[in-house]
Amino acid sequence: MTTIESIREKLGTAEPWVESGGVRWLATSAPNVRQLAAVMNEAQARFVTITAIELPGVHLYRLEYLWDLDGQLLGFPFVLSGNSIESIHDLCEAVDWIEREVHEGFAVDFPGRDYEPLLLRAGDKLGVNLHQELL
Amino acid sequence: MSYKIPMGPYHPALEEPYKLDMFCEGETVSDAKLHIGFNFRGIEHLAETRNYIQVIALMERVCGICSNIHTLTLCQAMEQLTGLTPPPRALYIRVIMAELERLHSHVLWAGIAAKLMGFKTMFMTCFALREKVMDVLQVISGNRVNYSMNCIGGVNRDIPDPRAVLAMVEQLEREMVRTVIPIFTTSTTARSRCAGIGVLTHERAISCGVVGPTARASGIAQDLRRAAPYAAYSEFEFNVPVETAGDVRARLLVRALEIMESCGILRQALAKMPPGEWHGGDRKVVFSTGSAVSRVEAPRGEVVYCVSWKENSRNPARVHVRTPTFQNMPAIRWMVMGARLADTPLIQASIDPCYSCTDR
Repeated sequence: MTTIESIREKLGTAEPWVESGGVRWLATSAPNVRQLAAVMNEAQARFVTITAIELPGVHLYRLEYLWDLDGQLLGFPFVLSGNSIESIHDLCEAVDWIEREVHEGFAVDFPGRDYEPLLLRAGDKLGVNLHQELL
Repeated sequence: MSYKIPMGPYHPALEEPYKLDMFCEGETVSDAKLHIGFNFRGIEHLAETRNYIQVIALMERVCGICSNIHTLTLCQAMEQLTGLTPPPRALYIRVIMAELERLHSHVLWAGIAAKLMGFKTMFMTCFALREKVMDVLQVISGNRVNYSMNCIGGVNRDIPDPRAVLAMVEQLEREMVRTVIPIFTTSTTARSRCAGIGVLTHERAISCGVVGPTARASGIAQDLRRAAPYAAYSEFEFNVPVETAGDVRARLLVRALEIMESCGILRQALAKMPPGEWHGGDRKVVFSTGSAVSRVEAPRGEVVYCVSWKENSRNPARVHVRTPTFQNMPAIRWMVMGARLADTPLIQASIDPCYSCTDR
């Protein structure tokens, strides 16, 4: 079994990998970002980034987690039901600044971690840069 | 005695804003906290208000050193969304620009590193050499900072006489072999100032997810030009220099060796440039709804662009930029822990940080 197939099996999803826009995407039916981080650590994948997208009109966010496995980009989208998703900072040190940036830019909360003072801006108001509602 | 030393936001070595609070025991740094964002520009948001031509010019301004890399990465993502494929000659020109930019960036960094080592003559030598790299960039693009070379489906300018550029590159290579490379690889000044300081262990480098020369100096053989080739990189032979010591000297050696590899790639690219078109022509640019991710190996490491578009829209719905310095900078905390206070400016500079990219 290839590594990416074993990733799919460990995440317990029947969905196939879908190649699109330079990334192999896997939609997990029961999204658990911490389980994903543990599986990617086990596969020795390198964390790349999180892209946060505010879905139009519905006050929902989609967070796309990207990992690199031997030069192949693997993507995992998570549609948040509220405005929070568990932090994986304790499992993946590399995620630290991007979680803080998404927290500041979109007011998305990552429970399970402490925030330093704002990373990118002065002041104390979250989401003023990229959160549509506050524009 | 414990005390805190705030370094910045005016950096002592690199005239850009960022702050490092260092907690010291005597002369030894025991911990550090980094603060960025002093010049945050909100470019990702601005990008959503620009059309597909304007957004290229905007993203070229994310960084003043690797401006070409940002437009290359963005254009590659937009090409995925439009289905436009650049002609082979354009892919070669993209490689030539990217490698000239790497040369210019690495020589600039070498000059700053030399200055921090107290090696002022070397600083002047590096900057004189950098001018010559910029002269080549100017000959090709007409510009010395923002080159405006990339567009969707190709490049904006041809290199009509690659042999003339090849002669300039060969002269550059001779000067680098004669001056920069031997000093940085064999000089006792460089060795005594850089060896064993600012160590980032292999395990910590993996944990922090560092990229580019910073990763390669800690034993991680990771280079997108090899692992996930883009433009025409799959057609060239080159090595990926890797060092294992993880100290400032290792980062110095990796960049010195990369300068030689870049010269080799440039020679190959200029010698066998395919004939034909270099521009996308008058093909209509039509975006399909969706997202595309593009990655490029910039001088400092992997640059990632995640671009989303809605069909028939002239503006992107979202442009997310992950720059290499954003990923490398948190590792500075681990590099300065245990270091002497006097070494910290050089250690911070050793990742070749770009605050402009970070405060995008």
